Amino acid sequence: MFKEVIKPFQYKRRSLEEIEQSNTGKHDKKKAQDPVGTLKKIWFYLAMNKVKLSLVILMVLISSAMALLGPFLVGMGIDDFIVTQDTDGLIQLLWILGIIYIIHSLSSWFQAVWMIRIAQNTVFTMRTRLFNHLQKLPIPFFDKRQHGELMSRVTNDMENVSSTLNSSVIQIVSSLLTLIGTASVMLYLSPLLTLIAMLVIPAMYFGLKWITKRTGRLFKEQQRNLGEINGYIQETLSGQRIIKTFSQEKKVIGQFEERNNRLRLAGFWAQTFSGFIPKLMNFLNNLSFAVIALVGAVLVLNGSETVTIGVIVIFVEYSRQFTRPLNDLANQFNTLLSAIAGAERVFDIMQEEEEEIDEAEAVEVEDLDGEVEFSRVSFAYEKDEETITDVSFTVLPGHTAAFVGPTGAGKTTMINLLSRFYDVTDGVIRMDGRDIQTIKRSSLRSHMAFVLQDSFLFEGTVRENIRYGSLTATDEEVEKAAELANAASFIRKMPDQFDTVLQADGQGISQGQRQLLSIARAILADPKILVLDEATSSIDTITEIKIQEALQRLMEGRTSFVIAHRLNTIQNADQIFVLNNGQLIESGNHEALIKQKGFYADLHNSQLREKLVL
Amino acid sequence: MKRIFPFLTPYRIAITIALALMLMELAVELVQPLLIAKIIDDGILQQDLSVVMLWGGVLIGCSFVAFFAGVTNSFYSSHVSQSFGFDIRKSLYDKVQAFSFTNFTKFPTSSLITRLTNDVTMLQNTVFMSLRIMMRAPLLVIGSVILAFIVHPGLALVLVISVPVLLFFLIFIMSKAGNLFKQVQERVDHVNNVMQENLVGIRLIKAFLRARHEMNRFKKSSEVLMDKTVKALRLIEVTMPIILLLMNASILVILWMGSVEVAANQASVGDVVAIVNYATRMTGALSIVTMIIMVFSRAKASGSRISDVLETDIDLVDREASENFMINHGAISFDNVSFRYPGTNTNVLRNLSFSIKAGERVSILGATGSGKSTLFQLIPRLYDVDEGEIRIDHQDISSFKLEHLRQQIGFVPQEAMLFTGSVRENIAWGDLNASFEEIKAAAERAQIHDTIMKLPKKYDTLLGQKGVNLSGGQKQRLSIARALVRKPAILLMDDSTSALDMKTEAKLLEALNDLSCTTVMITQKISTTMASDHILLLDEGELLAQGSHQELLKTSPLYLKIVESQIGKEALTLVQRGN
Repeated sequence: MFKEVIKPFQYKRRSLEEIEQSNTGKHDKKKAQDPVGTLKKIWFYLAMNKVKLSLVILMVLISSAMALLGPFLVGMGIDDFIVTQDTDGLIQLLWILGIIYIIHSLSSWFQAVWMIRIAQNTVFTMRTRLFNHLQKLPIPFFDKRQHGELMSRVTNDMENVSSTLNSSVIQIVSSLLTLIGTASVMLYLSPLLTLIAMLVIPAMYFGLKWITKRTGRLFKEQQRNLGEINGYIQETLSGQRIIKTFSQEKKVIGQFEERNNRLRLAGFWAQTFSGFIPKLMNFLNNLSFAVIALVGAVLVLNGSETVTIGVIVIFVEYSRQFTRPLNDLANQFNTLLSAIAGAERVFDIMQEEEEEIDEAEAVEVEDLDGEVEFSRVSFAYEKDEETITDVSFTVLPGHTAAFVGPTGAGKTTMINLLSRFYDVTDGVIRMDGRDIQTIKRSSLRSHMAFVLQDSFLFEGTVRENIRYGSLTATDEEVEKAAELANAASFIRKMPDQFDTVLQADGQGISQGQRQLLSIARAILADPKILVLDEATSSIDTITEIKIQEALQRLMEGRTSFVIAHRLNTIQNADQIFVLNNGQLIESGNHEALIKQKGFYADLHNSQLREKLVL
Repeated sequence: MKRIFPFLTPYRIAITIALALMLMELAVELVQPLLIAKIIDDGILQQDLSVVMLWGGVLIGCSFVAFFAGVTNSFYSSHVSQSFGFDIRKSLYDKVQAFSFTNFTKFPTSSLITRLTNDVTMLQNTVFMSLRIMMRAPLLVIGSVILAFIVHPGLALVLVISVPVLLFFLIFIMSKAGNLFKQVQERVDHVNNVMQENLVGIRLIKAFLRARHEMNRFKKSSEVLMDKTVKALRLIEVTMPIILLLMNASILVILWMGSVEVAANQASVGDVVAIVNYATRMTGALSIVTMIIMVFSRAKASGSRISDVLETDIDLVDREASENFMINHGAISFDNVSFRYPGTNTNVLRNLSFSIKAGERVSILGATGSGKSTLFQLIPRLYDVDEGEIRIDHQDISSFKLEHLRQQIGFVPQEAMLFTGSVRENIAWGDLNASFEEIKAAAERAQIHDTIMKLPKKYDTLLGQKGVNLSGGQKQRLSIARALVRKPAILLMDDSTSALDMKTEAKLLEALNDLSCTTVMITQKISTTMASDHILLLDEGELLAQGSHQELLKTSPLYLKIVESQIGKEALTLVQRGN
């Protein structure tokens, strides 16, 4: 039992510097915490609803006025009508009061209704902007981030903003109004006592400053940890098959617990410190209460002319009323901080540079012949570690080029460069003689279709997934593409055929079938340049032969890039580029390379030998 | 909700302390007016400065006590709510890790993620608030009613009637809002899902220039979320104006009745003032109730979503009689096995019977979609068979303890999924206790050691979420190393050499030769089947043929066709003539 009593005081505390350091993670750009800047940005989004926002403020004004008027009239009614037994007057007053009450209820209803819309609109705008911005970020950004962590920003962090905006604006406005109102009455009653009551303000300021300096970071740390745990859950759920088959549940549960614990720790301090704010306000409140009573009493005893017992009584009441909105403000401040922490993480992403941003002069390209030239191209994913070194070649329009080489030779990287998922570190890639960096990415890719190594399917029907290649394709076109890709036969066996809904985790559809769908997708896209990266690696060879014909037909008249391990699938290529360790070591067509008796010939012979070993 | 409350019981002591501290604060607040009265009555009126000083001092002392209580309360409340959240997340995660794949079909990943983070946060905040402010409002309401009753039972009757009406109304709103918030959370799931798909499929989206399409999809999804949220919140926000209206109406009635009673000399004006006063205070307290209602409705929605997960029956568990069998030899046999994926009605595997001898190397060959990968998943019992029996070392696999069974199987999946972490950690996944030597040995066998040594930090190089800076073939070999490091009795490789070039593959297969385990490989390549003792040829979920390479060449036309497709007709006739 004792353990439970002292437990709350045993949480480890990290220094602010440490927290600051881990908050500006390796991916985020180094920058100082800037709550005001973040607040301004939130305001920018809020202010998009100017008309409604001013309506809300008007409603707050009305309802505050009604809230003041009501009790005043009740007091009047008691004094003037009940005491004097004036029934007619009372009835009249009750009518007026009734109307005031109705107005009060209506205005507070309207302010809430409108404010909810504004807040949710704001959140919606921020959320979609974040998403749209993500769409414009370059591939390297995604390769370095944990998916779940990014997802957390769209949900958990936005949630923080959402719940704050719902209540804060109204609260802040009405608190400020009440504050101004009571301060003037107090000033009117006794400037001296007002001054004493105001003494809480500097104390409040320093107290709040001390606390918020901590909570700001602590909240961000909490959100970051929440993001991390989100990332971990996402990763371990998508890797569930491995975890299960390796029976490593205990390991991931252990690792989850570490993260869970970190989140608890961060959450504990964020919550504890932010919990201080109302307590501090209460304390200062009580203190000023006591001081006013004391000073007031002393003043009365010393025969002050302005301060009477009545003034003290009223004053104490008012100082209470004065500090209540201050209290509310402080509380709002608190939720505001947690919103800022969330928003900051959202804006962090929005600050990431877009893919196209540095190429304002890039142009659209209408027509492409499809000539591709690599000129002394080098590339490194990580500094000082070249994946591609000084590669040069030219592929003529309509030709098929194949990349061959051991795994890790840089074949997929070539595709990454060609599609500008990554940009070259050195050298130039030209298309129809034009540096592809001067072509808009969207324009460049609109001429290309890809069958990528990992065939990805969306949750949706088979038809929708194929139609991804060309959104305007008719049902017939979709089905024809499936036919060509040899996918139609298995699709027809599915329960709802082309309308069968595919699950996100792809249950019930094999890897090879996924590849067939990807190929159908590329066929539908009908591009100028076709890229096939191990497009048939999981497809059995008989099916492969069948679609090979379709692919051959597809590649006619298009510049095609093919990566394949089975050499017989690329023997017809016009040009074969042999890569090893990121260097182009041989090139030519099949016959030429065989004659050359180099790496390719070796590779071919070893495959041939295996055939002959049969 | 029944499932949620027990999570609070370990913290009863801390909860009690937190509530006591809160009451202490409340008490100070209530005592203050009394103390002020003392200062005025005994001090100022009696012209006694020392009394003023005394009570003034007490007043200040009380402030300190309240402050102390409040700050300490912060510690306890945070402790309770954070630990409560921690425990729920832990239970959820434990539960999810125990899920079978059939269970997973009920909860998409994105939804589980929301439940584990967003929903838990909702509950956590509810607990935190409850321990700090929630009691205040109800206490104030109850206290006011009682005091009003003492002052004048007749007039207080108005309040006694209106409060239950309000309560009834609030409970009604809460239950309605609970459902609405549940829908909100479901939409959060959906937003999360679109987001996840976009992150995983970003290459495809970029390659096909579908950013705009996806933006629209996301916009639609978050639009629905917005609308649902607005709907739920608007319902909640109805409470405030209605509370105001009802309480204000009560004040009107009190004034009217008051004037009648005063006229009849049944009540004093002071009584009326006091009761109106109490009514006003109640209104203030009730407005906080609006917020409480909202928090509780959300908590209710989130709580039921969490309970859904916790209450899910796990349909793939150890049998009671399961034992700690060791796989000694690794002989596998399928006896009339049929299987269909849960929720579908076509059998993926049909009446499959075959046996694999201990230590054999077996290849499984078959057209795309013939059920090869499905067959593999049944061996470590990722799914249970619908009919028939699978036996390892002549024991039905469902009589093994799941953990034991899986521990002795090395599985290399088709998609090489790696985890964030270093190369070493990723290999050590196979066997947490593996020494560095063993890790290195596994990497060497998997033909990845040389590649690793070329990485900037060698075995300590960090891999991104999906090991992006490695090529497809490198990832495959890493996941093979991961399976090898556990020195499995049975090694299952699902087309795991597809991205490897012939040379590397040949070396790999050779390195596997001196392992004593039973090896089953799904493959498309004849080069692989040739290097196997036994070949199973699947077609549409049925076993079409089996035998050695040479046997199948003679007996199976389909096999012959596959061979032909890979080495060409001429080579084949050459080979056949050779035999």
